[in-house]
Formats: sequence, C-alpha cells, structure tokens
Amino acid sequence: MPGASAMRRRPLPGFVGSGLGFLRKQPFAVAGLAIYLTFILLAIFADQIATHDPREILFRGAYRVARYLPPSATHYLGTTAGGRDVFSQLVHGTRSALQVGVTAAFFVVVIGTLLGLLSGYLGGWVDRVIMRISDIILGLPFLPFVLVISALTRPGTTTLVASVALMLWPNTARVIRSQVLSLRERGWVEAARVTGCSTPRIIFVHIAPQVAPLAALYGSIAVGWAILTEASASFLGFGDPNAISWGLMLQDAFANQALSRGVWTWFVPPGLCIVLLVLAGFLVSRGSEKLLFPKLGD
Amino acid sequence: MDALLDVRDLAVHYRTAAGPVRAVDGASFTVPAAGIVGLVGESGCGKSTLGRALMGVLPRSASIAAGQAVFEGRDLVTLSPAERRKLLWRRLAFVPQTAMNALDPVQRLAAQMQEVLVERGGLSRAAAGARAVELFAMVGLDAGRLRDWPHQFSGGMRQRASIALALALNPALLIADEPVTALDVIVQRQILDVMRDLQSRLGLAMILVTHDVAVVAYACDRVVVMYAGRVVESGPVRAVLEAPLHPYTMGLMNAFPDLERAGGELVPIEGAPPSLLNPPTGCRFAARCPFAVARCEKDPALLEQAPDHHVACWRAAEAPALRPLASEAATWSR
Amino acid sequence: MVPLIAANDLVKAFPASRSLRDMARGHRPVLRAVNGVSLAVAAGRALGIVGESGCGKTTTARLLLRLEEATSGTVLFEGQNVSALHGAALLPFRSRVQLVFQNPFDALNPRFTIRRSLTEPLRNFGLPAAQWEAMIREAMARVRLDPAEAYLDRHPHELSGGQLQRVVLARALVTHPRAIIADEPVSMLDVSVRAGVLNVLRRARDELQLAAIYISHDLALIRYVCEEVAVMYLGRIVESGPTAEVIAGAAHPYTRALVAAVPVPRVDQDRGDLPIIGGLPDQRNQPSGCAFRDRCPLAFARCAEEAPPLRAIAPGRHAACHLA
Repeated sequence: MPGASAMRRRPLPGFVGSGLGFLRKQPFAVAGLAIYLTFILLAIFADQIATHDPREILFRGAYRVARYLPPSATHYLGTTAGGRDVFSQLVHGTRSALQVGVTAAFFVVVIGTLLGLLSGYLGGWVDRVIMRISDIILGLPFLPFVLVISALTRPGTTTLVASVALMLWPNTARVIRSQVLSLRERGWVEAARVTGCSTPRIIFVHIAPQVAPLAALYGSIAVGWAILTEASASFLGFGDPNAISWGLMLQDAFANQALSRGVWTWFVPPGLCIVLLVLAGFLVSRGSEKLLFPKLGD
Repeated sequence: MDALLDVRDLAVHYRTAAGPVRAVDGASFTVPAAGIVGLVGESGCGKSTLGRALMGVLPRSASIAAGQAVFEGRDLVTLSPAERRKLLWRRLAFVPQTAMNALDPVQRLAAQMQEVLVERGGLSRAAAGARAVELFAMVGLDAGRLRDWPHQFSGGMRQRASIALALALNPALLIADEPVTALDVIVQRQILDVMRDLQSRLGLAMILVTHDVAVVAYACDRVVVMYAGRVVESGPVRAVLEAPLHPYTMGLMNAFPDLERAGGELVPIEGAPPSLLNPPTGCRFAARCPFAVARCEKDPALLEQAPDHHVACWRAAEAPALRPLASEAATWSR
Repeated sequence: MVPLIAANDLVKAFPASRSLRDMARGHRPVLRAVNGVSLAVAAGRALGIVGESGCGKTTTARLLLRLEEATSGTVLFEGQNVSALHGAALLPFRSRVQLVFQNPFDALNPRFTIRRSLTEPLRNFGLPAAQWEAMIREAMARVRLDPAEAYLDRHPHELSGGQLQRVVLARALVTHPRAIIADEPVSMLDVSVRAGVLNVLRRARDELQLAAIYISHDLALIRYVCEEVAVMYLGRIVESGPTAEVIAGAAHPYTRALVAAVPVPRVDQDRGDLPIIGGLPDQRNQPSGCAFRDRCPLAFARCAEEAPPLRAIAPGRHAACHLA
C-alpha cells in the first residue's frame, strides 16, 4: 500500500526544519512575518525614526501651540490638537503595542499550554477542575470583563496584559488538551512509561515538544487579540494614561472631534497600524495551520 | 485463454515534491473470465495502487502514466469518467480494505442496497427489496439485519455486507483490496469461504489483493506476484506456489512460519524493497537476491517459462536447482 | 520450575455501555475483558497467548506490565507481589520487564534520534552514564543492527519497518531485563522482514535466558517462537499446554477451530467448514454456563448448566471443556 507507507515515512513537520520550504509555499505567512518584522524594527529604532519627542508639545512661534498642522516635511502626519507630532506618536506607539501583544501572548501560551498538558495527560479531577474553570472564563464577555478589572484595579499596561492572559488561556488550553489526549494514546508515550519515565518527564520532555507548534499558533492569535484589547481599552479610557499607544491616539483624536474636523492623518494611521498588526497575527497563524494540518489544504 | 481483463504495461505514478513515485511501473497480467486471481506482494509493491487504478479510484496525486487495461474489449485507461461510471457496479465492482469505507455509517443497510439497486440498476423498489434479501442470504447474513446500521455489525459482518453490496448488480469482475487483512483468523477464513463459494456459484472473476501468500494458497486459482511496482511472476496457484520460478516468490514461501513444520530458523529476505522514486536499473530484486549475477543489471522481461507460467528472471531456467538453496537461511544472509 | 513472572486470577472489568433499560433500573453493567487468568513463565521459556481480537489477550499483557490496574488478582515477579507498587517503587520492576510494541512506526518518539530513544531507559533507571554507550552498542549488536553508527543518529522516519522493530527490541533489551512481553511483534511488518525480527527475538530470549510472553492471533507464529501456549476466549484461558501438542491434538473445540482456520501457504489443504458456529457474541450477552457453547458444534445440556473449569487433562496440559 504505497499510500500508507508514504504516510508513515513522511517526516513529521519539524517546525524549524521545514521552515524554509514552508516560507516558499505560504505567501500568507510570509506577508504576516514581514509585517511583524517591520513593526519590530520600528519599535527597536523608534528613537531614531521618530522625528520628535512624542510627548513634547510643539509651539509655532512664541506661545502658540502648533495644533492641527497639516502633513509636511517636518511633520509627516501633521500634529494633534495638543500640538504633538502624530508620526512620532505612531512610531512610539508600536513599542507599547508590541509590548502588550508579546507579553500577553507569552502568558497565554505558557498558562494555556501548561494547563492543557496537565489537563490532557493527567485527566481525572485535575482535568475536571481545569476544564470547569475554562468553561467559566469562556462564558464571560471578553471586553467588559477586561474593563471591569481595569476599573477595579490600577489602570495600566500590567493590568491589561494580566486580564488578557486570564481571558485567553482557556482557548489554548483546550486545543492543547485535545492534542494531548490523542498523543497520550500513541505507542511511544506508552513506551516512555514502560521505560521508567516519570510523569513530569513524559509531559515536558516527550509530549510538550509535540504541541509546541500548536501553542505557537495560538500565541500568534493572542498577539492580535491583546493589541486589539489594549487599543479598545485605551480608546475607552481604561488604558495607561501616560503611555503612548495607538488606542490612546485614537481616543485623543476622537475626544477632539478629529473625525468631524476631517483630520484623517491623525486617526487613520493608528487604526491602520492596529489592523495590520492584528492581520499579521492571523496571517501567520493561517500559514502555520497549513504546516500543522497539511491535510486541511488538500 | 479467454481473458476478461488484460493489463498491459500499466504504469501509475504518484506526484510528490521529490518527483514521480513509480508505484506501478509496467505491470502486465491477465484475468480469466471466471476464477479468483491473487495479487500478492509486500506493502509498497504497488498491488493496491494497481487495484485502485483499475477501479478508477486513485487518489488525486496519482495518475495512470502508461499502458492499458482492456476489460471486455474496452480500455479502462482511456475511458471517460462517464463511461467508466456506467461500468461501475454493473460490470466492475470494488470491495475496499475496511468495509466501513464501503458502507455509509448514517444509512441502514437496506437503504444503501436500495440506492444501488434502484438508482444504478434501475430495479423497482419491490424488486430491489427482494434482491437485497437474496444478496444478504448469499453472503450468509440474516435478512432481518438489513434494517440495521453498519455500526451494529461486527468486522466480519461488515465485510460480508460490503461484498453483498458489490455483487448487487451482478458484476463480471470484483476487485477486493485486502478484504481479510483486518480480520481475525476465524472470520478471515469465513469471509474467504464466502468469496470462494460466490465465485463458483456465480461464475464471476475476482481479483483479491493481499500481502498474505497463505490467503492466496487458500482461496485463489491464479496468482500474480508483484515486487517494486512490477509483476515478477504469474500463473496458476499450484504451479507458482509449489514450484516458484522467481527467487522473490521462493523467499516469500520460506519466510512464513508454518503450523505443521516444526523448529528450524525462518528464512528472512534481507534488506528492504527499493525506493520507487529512483528505482534501480535492471532487475529490481537483484540487490536482495542471493542468486544475482552480472546479467541482472539488465531488465529481465516477463516471459512464459512454462505453460501459462510467466516469470521475469534471467535464471528462471535454473529455478529447480535454486529452490533447495533458497530454503536455507545461509543462502540469504550474505 | 520457578516462574519468573506469574499472574494469579487476574480480573479486569470495564464499565460497559448502558442500555436505556439499564439506566432505568440503575444497573451499571461491567464487561470483564479479563476474567480470572492465571499463568506463569520461567526464565528462558516463552509462552504464547493466542486468541481473536476482543478475547482479552492484550489487556492481559497490559495487566502483567502494570500499565493497567487489575480489578482483582495479583502479578508476581521473582516471587514478589508487584500489584500494589506505584511510582518510584515500581521502577525496579519496570527495568526488569519490558514491552515490545505492535506498531514500530508509532513506538519511537518521532523527534528523538535512535540514540536518544535508547538512552531514555538507561537514564530513567539510573544507570551510570559512563556505561550508556557500551550498553546501547551491546543492544544494537544483539538485534543485528550493525554497524550501530549507521542507525544511532538517525530519526525513526529514516528507518524501515523491520529496522524500527529491531530498534524497539533493542530499547527493550538495553537495560538487561529479565522478561519481555511482545504484543503482536510482527503483525505490522512486511512478510519478508518478519522472519528476521522473529529470529532476533528468539535468539535474544535464548542468549539472555529471558522469560518471554508473546501475544498474537497467529498460531503459526506462536508455534515458531513459543514452547507453551495459552488459548483465550472471552477473557478466559480455555486451553493451555506445550504448543506442538495443543496444535496437534487440541482438546477444546475453540482451539480446534482456531487451528483449522490458521492460513497455511500450501495449495493442498483442508478447505472444509470450520468446526465453529457464527461470530463472537456480544460480550454483555454471554451465554450461561460455558461461554463458548453457542458457537460450539459439540455443545450439550451440561454446557448450559455449568461452566467447565480449567482443569488438567494430561501432564502440562489444561483445558476448560466438559468433553476434554
């Protein structure tokens, strides 16, 4: 049966190994990665790229705040109602967006993978407790809950990251758990038991590397969600008032009626950046989905 | 010999990233109008692919690259899908390896029978009902079980049901892909008995694809031995199994533990079949063959060495002398 | 003969699926996959457990390996009851009793090299790291995979089925076990490489004086590797004894049917009807008395009334049939 033997012989998708071939075949993922890379570079070199201090109130002549300047060679995207340089705010906003996105995704992946592994492999009451908690969290409305937590605690980036992580781990935990449930039945996991592996060793040395690509997929989705949440919370006034973020820029623009004044250059760029970064997360996850489940494509 | 099916130099290739995999690479054999032909070989030898190619149920990555398969005077290879569909069920039927694949899990058996008999066979509903009962009786199933769902059947009963379904419209040729592989020995024997019984009662032709020489010995009239995409030996079962001419067939016969033969070492065939991505030139078995000589670097043709007994081996004429050597383990462990 | 590994009256019950009537009555039916199995294997000997799928042979193996908890009954290893051991206390037993898997394509971690797979047991059982390399090479030589360098740094997907099964066997042997249990060790392999793996298994058993238990549906294979055989039907051993004697003169009607059904690669063979009726019954609706009686061509009144116990019928031979 050549079909069957071809399936057996096919090397498992090594995440790094097949990376190169995967890039060639997955234009979506490449586009997503390119967007990520651009924003990462923007964040790293924000001080060099930004033309002004994003917090600095600029003046035109003496005592006249440089508000609503149109785009020009000095202010690529003009200035805000408060006389701050929009382009510089945008560039520095990349930092907080990525910071929130990456840290939240990190915690989502760590908590979700860990609980998914334990729940799937140990089963029994551990599984029941973890799954019931995740049911409860999945039943909570996402944004209102984040806002309530922000309102009850000190508003700021830490609170946002923590509440996003708290709200998003159940999705990761559930898929990891189902993956572990099928891996647990594999012969080599049984072999690990027979050859004296301790339970933690089976979970973390044998099984965890197998679910890592799936965890990474959910991580890239979480990046997008976290950035959206941060932007929404900031827009609604629950963000860190001292931070420079795209959400705050939008809130600032909204509060100053930029829309009705037609100052497109103030509110369109941060909105576009949010869309792009979230889109990048989904593009990457779509690409790695094909890598993880090659049969889906056929 | 009046052939119902005449396969000539058939080649089936799988497209892969690394290039075409020649799963079947120039296979030739004939199937007489009545009797069971065993298509035997190891996994990867192309036997299942060949069966599927004849049925027109190849996976999308595979295609027939060359050759012809003349069935009742018409070449199956060049047939349009519409013409082929007309042949399916009526002249040509298929029993897949896992009967669950042949049966629709969300329909009662009676409904599935009805569909084939009414939609394909053009029978009236009443006639179809009677025919379904008759078919179930033919494969040894209780007619009352027609109202059951496939999941209520055991493995053996499902296989019986899928044979009944395949025979619904009196095909001339039934192709069964490893029909007993997943079954226990007792059930396996019962299914083989059903197939033998049906063959002799209905006088149709069957191709039984299997990896098990013992199944061939028990159930088949003729055998086609495949190795690495090619037919290496074919002929009547008695001639091929009792006096094999190809070293591979000799090896297969000795590699089996025998219920009645005590002690002694089994004789393994060392090595593994070649990759079909870049098959070696010359005889494909040469690398594992203890009797390979310089001549084997060239391709041996499939020739009629004895009446109706074809073999593709340069040393086929020496086979009687090679046979005793092939039964010794030392010969193979070079 | 002092058994190295033995089972006493092992029972494994699973909760069976409940019908509506069961639920209404509050019944919780159980399915006894293994129902009072006792066996013993001495060092250097091999026992075959043969039967159809669903007869409980694989569950018996898993109970012997302590991969599953028995509902009742005990497993003795070197005279010690290991049924109650857990966690770290089980490690010495694990290092002494190893398993050869059915599916070599699934038995090795796909991300580990062969060397790492073979190192795992050595590390887990706390053998000194200085000895690892020598022990790995010894095991590879024993399964005739040489030179070992050609395989050790490769991944499972780079090896053929026969090679993989030898690696699986090498992993089982690398810690110098006293007993191995092989569950259908060659059923997933091609015919031409089966013989090689079986020969390696048999030689390893002889050279290391292992107690071996083979699980298979194939009596011919059991005949080749085991001196003793136990035939299981619906969770019970129905016949046991020296393999050659059991095959030549089966005492239980089920064994007779099994022997008659074994495929042999000969053109001239008995093609008569099998001495058995129908297929396996639904395990929840087993007949009263002898569990085999509804398929037995010889059944008579007594079979419905009392279940025949497994009793000695000749030196070394046992059968559970009123007629034996």
